[in-house]
Amino acid sequence: MGVLIPLLLLFAVAAPSFARPLPTRDTADQPTTTEPSTNTNAPASTPAQTVAQPEPKEDEEVRKPVTEKVRRATLPAALTPARHGDTSGSYLIGQRTLVEDYAGWGWVRKEGEGWNKGRWIAIEYDPKVCPVPHAFLPRPQDDKDYLYKLYGDFAPYRAYEPQADVWVDVLVLRGFVSLGPAKDTIRRDPPHHGSSKPNRFAERGANVR
Amino acid sequence: MLRLLTLALLVLVSPEITRAYNIVLISGGPALRSHERFKANTHDRYWGNFVDSALARVKELRKEFGPDDKITWLVFRPGYIRRGMEEKQDYLKILEERGQLHGLTPIYFDDKEQLFTLLRRNGSPEKPLIARLEYYGHSNKKCLMFDYSNRVDGGAIETQVVHVDDLENISGSSFTPNAMCVSYGCHSGEEFSQRWRMVVGRPMVGAVGKTDYGAGGMPKLSERRGGSWVY
Repeated sequence: MGVLIPLLLLFAVAAPSFARPLPTRDTADQPTTTEPSTNTNAPASTPAQTVAQPEPKEDEEVRKPVTEKVRRATLPAALTPARHGDTSGSYLIGQRTLVEDYAGWGWVRKEGEGWNKGRWIAIEYDPKVCPVPHAFLPRPQDDKDYLYKLYGDFAPYRAYEPQADVWVDVLVLRGFVSLGPAKDTIRRDPPHHGSSKPNRFAERGANVR
Repeated sequence: MLRLLTLALLVLVSPEITRAYNIVLISGGPALRSHERFKANTHDRYWGNFVDSALARVKELRKEFGPDDKITWLVFRPGYIRRGMEEKQDYLKILEERGQLHGLTPIYFDDKEQLFTLLRRNGSPEKPLIARLEYYGHSNKKCLMFDYSNRVDGGAIETQVVHVDDLENISGSSFTPNAMCVSYGCHSGEEFSQRWRMVVGRPMVGAVGKTDYGAGGMPKLSERRGGSWVY
């Protein structure tokens, strides 16, 4: 008897915490907004609490990271084709030249002329007609100092080079023939390039990350 | 005589009182990722920077101006078509849907001549004077470039930029006397704003330094170098 009374008292105190009462029909029908808790150590008698999320302000816009969707057109072997597009008619010899933060494709000259008479150009292209040669390569710089025969026409408009505030001729590309790597890099600045030159007063514009 | 003078004054003043003003927002176009993605200073990872920022401004402008004042949203169409072709998306449709959420329908322009025509106003109900003009897009200190790094790598086509030398095509009479203009492009405050004020005759706020659209919403001055907004 002396043992039974404490045992009964123990059951009476502990019974409410053994299990939660089954939900009634009314409460079971209500949609639950909180995620089911996987924390088995949490006391069953405490109601599941939602983690307080900071409410975004009405005007505040949350920008998700942008994933790159663009894929460069690459051949399986990642090689520039020897000939591509319409390669009939007159052509220019072009040497791909990369100048950091300067718009354009590189230098062109007529067949038989020297590079001292070359012109710096920007290339405009329609991917369905003929992409630029480096579009076949993994990176644009992969055909640096490569020579091409470029087939196309100069556009009636020019391109604006924002770094130097100059206007650059635009060649609308129709086709090209690869001539392989050039012997030398063209050691000549494009128009008004270089901080010591005039007109380098207009910084590149673009804004966004 | 006095009665005539009063009548003449009323005729002169009353349209000014009742006239609804026009707020013009201009969204330039994005660059192509195929031109930009390998550059150290890459641009326009997100296609809609200039769309979202302009639309983010609409709510504020609606509070600032009256219910009769109309907001006109001008969008450079070719940039979104080419970027959409590259990413196989119909960005014009998407931006139209976003505009509808703010009660706006974009008015497209394809080159600077069309833009100049759209900015030519005479104060009639069809062509109300511009009380505020805001530009969202690429720029440098001398030029607003709707077409930056889209048709040509790293540059912009001549017909799709507004250079300081083109400003004579924008008339000050298209604006209200106290109109305010803002360029949210980079470096506009370093020269373009001053030339705008000289030629167009209305002040333009512009940035000294770069502006950053990366966080979404309204562009902020880039934190890389000290910058400021100036007239």
